[in-house]
Amino acid sequence: MSVFLSSLGFGLISAAVLAIATVGFTMQFAVTNVLNLAYGSVMINSAFVTYYLNYHAHLNAWVAMIGGVFTGAVASYLLNRFVFTPFQRRNLPPITIVIVALGVDLVGTFGLQAIIGGSYFSYKQSLGREVHFWGMYFSTLQLIIIGICIVVLGLIHWLLKYTRLGKAMRATSANATLARNSGVRTQRVISSTWLISGALCGLAGTVFAMNTGVFDATSAQLYIVLMLAAMFLGGPGSAYGAMIGAVTIGVATELSAGYFNPQYKEVIAFIVLLGMLTFRPFGLFGSEKTI
Amino acid sequence: MNAILFYVATVIVYGAVDSMACLALNVQFGFAGLSNFGFIIFQAGGAYVAAILSMGPWQKSNGGFQQYVLGWHLVWPLPWIGAAIFGGLLALPFVFLVGKRLRGDFAAVGLLVSAVLLNQLVNNFVPLFNGAAGISIVPAPFSGKWNPQGLGYQFAYGGVAVVLAVLVYFLLRRVTESPYGRSLRAMRDNDVVADALGKNVRVQRTSMLILGGMIAGLSGAVLVGFINLWAPGAWGYAETIVLFAAIIVGGAGNHKGAVLGALLVPLGFEEVTRFIPPLSNPALVPALEWVAIGLLIIGFLWFRPDGILPERRRILSRSATSAVPVLSSGESDSLINLGNLDQMDFRQLLRLEGDANDHGIILASDRLTRAFHGVTVVSEVSIEIQRGRITGLIGPNGAGKSTTLAMLAGTLAPTSGKVLYEGRDITSMPSNERAKAGMIRTFQLASEFKKLTVLENLVSAIPRQSGDSFPGALRGRRYWGREDVENIERASEMLEGFGLSQYADSYAGGLSGGQRRLVEIMRALLAQPTILLLDEPMAGVHPNLAHKIGDQLMRLAASGMTIVMVEHELAIMDAFCDPVIVLAEGRVLAQGTMAELRAKKEVVEAYLVG
Amino acid sequence: MRFSKMVRRGRLVDNSRKRLVLVASALALVASMVTLPVAEGISGATSFKGSITIASVAPFTGADAALGPKYATACYAAAQAINAAGGVLSKQVKCKTVDTRGDPADAVPAVRQMYATTSNLALVIGCTSDEAATVVPIFGAHKTVSFCMTGQSEFDAVHYPFFFRLVPPDAADSVAMVQIAKRHNYKNIALAFGNDAGSQTFVAPALAAIKSAKMTVVSNQTLDMSASTFQTEAQAIVQAHPDAILMEALGAAGVALLSEIYQLNGNKMIPTIGTSAMIDPVFFSGVTSGPVGVQNFISAFDADNQTVNASGPAYPLYKKLVLAQAGKVPGVPSFPGLLSANGTVHLYDGINMAALAMVMAHSTQGAKYKADILKIAEGVRGAVNVSSYAAGLKDLKAGKKIHYVGVGGSYLFDSYQTAFGPFEDDQFLANGTTVAVGGSLGYCGLTGCKAKL
Repeated sequence: MSVFLSSLGFGLISAAVLAIATVGFTMQFAVTNVLNLAYGSVMINSAFVTYYLNYHAHLNAWVAMIGGVFTGAVASYLLNRFVFTPFQRRNLPPITIVIVALGVDLVGTFGLQAIIGGSYFSYKQSLGREVHFWGMYFSTLQLIIIGICIVVLGLIHWLLKYTRLGKAMRATSANATLARNSGVRTQRVISSTWLISGALCGLAGTVFAMNTGVFDATSAQLYIVLMLAAMFLGGPGSAYGAMIGAVTIGVATELSAGYFNPQYKEVIAFIVLLGMLTFRPFGLFGSEKTI
Repeated sequence: MNAILFYVATVIVYGAVDSMACLALNVQFGFAGLSNFGFIIFQAGGAYVAAILSMGPWQKSNGGFQQYVLGWHLVWPLPWIGAAIFGGLLALPFVFLVGKRLRGDFAAVGLLVSAVLLNQLVNNFVPLFNGAAGISIVPAPFSGKWNPQGLGYQFAYGGVAVVLAVLVYFLLRRVTESPYGRSLRAMRDNDVVADALGKNVRVQRTSMLILGGMIAGLSGAVLVGFINLWAPGAWGYAETIVLFAAIIVGGAGNHKGAVLGALLVPLGFEEVTRFIPPLSNPALVPALEWVAIGLLIIGFLWFRPDGILPERRRILSRSATSAVPVLSSGESDSLINLGNLDQMDFRQLLRLEGDANDHGIILASDRLTRAFHGVTVVSEVSIEIQRGRITGLIGPNGAGKSTTLAMLAGTLAPTSGKVLYEGRDITSMPSNERAKAGMIRTFQLASEFKKLTVLENLVSAIPRQSGDSFPGALRGRRYWGREDVENIERASEMLEGFGLSQYADSYAGGLSGGQRRLVEIMRALLAQPTILLLDEPMAGVHPNLAHKIGDQLMRLAASGMTIVMVEHELAIMDAFCDPVIVLAEGRVLAQGTMAELRAKKEVVEAYLVG
Repeated sequence: MRFSKMVRRGRLVDNSRKRLVLVASALALVASMVTLPVAEGISGATSFKGSITIASVAPFTGADAALGPKYATACYAAAQAINAAGGVLSKQVKCKTVDTRGDPADAVPAVRQMYATTSNLALVIGCTSDEAATVVPIFGAHKTVSFCMTGQSEFDAVHYPFFFRLVPPDAADSVAMVQIAKRHNYKNIALAFGNDAGSQTFVAPALAAIKSAKMTVVSNQTLDMSASTFQTEAQAIVQAHPDAILMEALGAAGVALLSEIYQLNGNKMIPTIGTSAMIDPVFFSGVTSGPVGVQNFISAFDADNQTVNASGPAYPLYKKLVLAQAGKVPGVPSFPGLLSANGTVHLYDGINMAALAMVMAHSTQGAKYKADILKIAEGVRGAVNVSSYAAGLKDLKAGKKIHYVGVGGSYLFDSYQTAFGPFEDDQFLANGTTVAVGGSLGYCGLTGCKAKL
């Protein structure tokens, strides 16, 4: 039982970071129909900006975090405006855009490495007190991250369900042409979506680095696998699906680490992803029409 | 001087290995449209298998300091053959990712993720391939007899590698410059349409995965025999990206382009950067290398997506007349003259059989239903199609006409209900099988194979070509050549009949809307249909041309062809279709001749309202 | 071929010519770069008659990027002193770095290119577990002496005549770690080793040594070096309540693991014993700038190390030389931290021995001087002890026989040309340097540590 509970605890913090990241990722796919494989590079750049502001500019951690979020938003917006949109206008097959995204990921990740070097950076902030309840272990920082996640996901829920922009986003992702013909200013919606999802991306990168405590330019390169697993589990393009997928994957990986073998903890994410792609690429909650 | 020669020998071997890899990936990606983001798996698998086949059992070798499976101590070339076979076998688990139902980019991501997964598994599971340490002291071929570190040996090794690369080149060219290659390129350009013309997309893709996998495995074996060590650090998923960059730079869809890309990118790039004097920060150069690869990918895809050596246009040799150089389209659709089509005997041209006056039921549907997300698009549609007639399927927007046609053709699966063809229940028959059985459909939106010439578009549709299979292609031109010449002649005849001979060698994507529509119809006809399912064939076509097409369709029907036509324009329905089925809101509203239908109130209402 | 014969005329020829030019120039560019050997080793100083090159062949980038600079520093430090004493046989010593990128497939062309562009290569240092297995045979084929830094067991039992190793096999290192644990009377031991090639070789000998020391293994974690968090592993270790943790995990993974153990253990560090590779300034700065902090870390961390004769005659010069390289070698965050790093210490000694052997043999060719390395290291009867190149040169010129006793003490090579001195127990000081505590652990072999050979 104690293994289960402590692994569950680790799974929750893992899920929190993953949820923030995946919701942003899936929103980008929803409105642009592009698998943005450069997402990880934006994450790590944002993480580094936060670190830099915190340590070298000596700003307060919260302010630095906002800097990271801002970086993510702006970088994602620019990425869509100057890379994805121009390529999409050329009516190329979707795979070309994915390859372009891979190219951008290389530029973003290794451009950063060229600037900051190949070694790793440590976050000095004290993790705070160790908190232990219900068999689960968290540091104060991790509880804060989980709290941030809940707040942010709540905001996203409010955005999608109760605001005009949210409705417009849902319409655009369901059928862009129809939305445009119904008077939705799809260009604005798309830009706003990239800003918001970019902010999520920046936040995800920041909390990812804070949680692991140590990071370098390539730390987020393989995070895309977990995000894809979470996204496809819940259904590509669905923010709620992403939330559920992220919690499932986050908890499942840690449980498998606890019960089976921590070296193979990500295998379960791979199996889920490949399984979903093979049998139900529209996710557990989607249907064939949604893709 | 000697040392330079050693370096040259190394460069030759690496160049040959990279060329083989790029040639294989190019056939998958550039020719067949299969984005194999997991390519490195196959090369790595081959290298490992070559290693463990050439070494003895681990407990007895080199003091037993590394663990691995097998260890059969086979003599060259058996390890290399084993590597190629294993590379091919590795393709089989991925069959599930390459069916036609899964989007190409999703499948690609699945392959990418598989590469990451397998690297992690091999890294962590030591008894398989010795984990992160990898397998070392892999013997070079004949290392007992000759000194592998000698200059002569190294050049001989390079020679063998180059010979293999050349053989691979010719083998792959044989595959791609055959009717099968044409089908692969058609699948690449538009897999849905290729499927509707009878090509089995899943089998074709799997075959390319296997073929590419075998060559990748062989390339891995050649590499490991030279460097004598293979570890997970050498085959991260990013290696595949480098190869993709190579193909994009060199030219996708062109074998020479693949070789050029291999020499420029994985070889040239890596080696050139070694000569850069160590800068203040040694980590800078490899980081900038990756940045450069990313920029190369983006830059080429933007400015020169065809690469340095673009795919060649294939001019099919034929006896026909056109000595006129290749032109792009420009003729106004209103002026298109359908040549001497009027004089052509359709029964002879299209090999029609059976009694032209037989109007029995050839195709029927029984309560066909299709629902998405709880919204029912087609509901309980039961219709019967008579032979030798042009049946119209008409209705307002959203009535479910195209969906019904798609279910009849097999492009969409019904939620419930049956489709019967010549009395047999074909509901579970996949669309490409239906096409082979004679049910040929066209599509509403542009569906020509853009990067095939018009003539290639037509010839690709002809069924039962002996060269249109993997084994057939391997047997070479001697096997399928004569039949291909005949097929080309048939297609040229058809082209001339439709008055488009001068566009035979133009890329189909460059023609005007009306011309493309004609190409589609010609292609459908060459597919030897027993029944033609046309989805709004007159959409976007100038009324003059539409009229001419309609006339010819009626002549076709009179020759015994069954035609079902989804149409919007009442005028066209009136002129050409009899009988007509009216759909509204997913249900059959009425059936009969146009005159009968115009008298029915509900039909008139549905049209005015819907 | 038959397909395209009809379109040799017309516009397509222009296109194909343009393409041909593009292709030809691209290939020409590549060819020129590949066949352009950069002239190496043109002597600058007027008092030298030519030069020789010592190459550091190691990862300077990639996962093990921290290793290369350590070895390069040894070269620069030793070369400075050698050149100040007039060079080797009047030739200036130059240092060159060859980046293997930690990948064997990259190491081979890197080494080949090195040979193609270095005409006066006299010695190779470095070669880690990442690439040694594939490059050592190449060095042998070129008859280049190499001093390698790999603890891999294949080199314990295979003969490579030009291969010298100044670090112990990992098996001996493991035994030394257990010896340190025994000194502290630890009974319950946890193991945490990375899954990479270099770290896994410690596990089996460590387990055997623990068993023969009558201790208990309460947890054995293998760390996936590509993962970013190790909470489950850390939790498993903490829950097992070990007295100490034996560890080798280089890079960010090691730092992450220690921080998480610290956190899950109620912000307290569990005593940790690392291998000599953990004495690394990058690792030190990583852990101490994290939540663990300097004081907590240094009071709970020990590492086994080869004896660094800090009070011996070779040390002051060595220290001066290493610190003089500050700012000249990128990738080293702290030069004081290198002073006891075994890569720097032993390669410095190795270069000195090789240089003296070259003088003895009157040749810079490996085939001729390699036997003299053994003589200098062993010290024949009547040999004078020397601790620096300058001293050794002077004695050789005076016709004496010499015995080199370096920063790492004296080196006794076994039949596979592996030499290592006695082990010691090192602890970190707040400034990142290390100091030996307790007495020498003695010479450690597979069955335990003994005071003398």
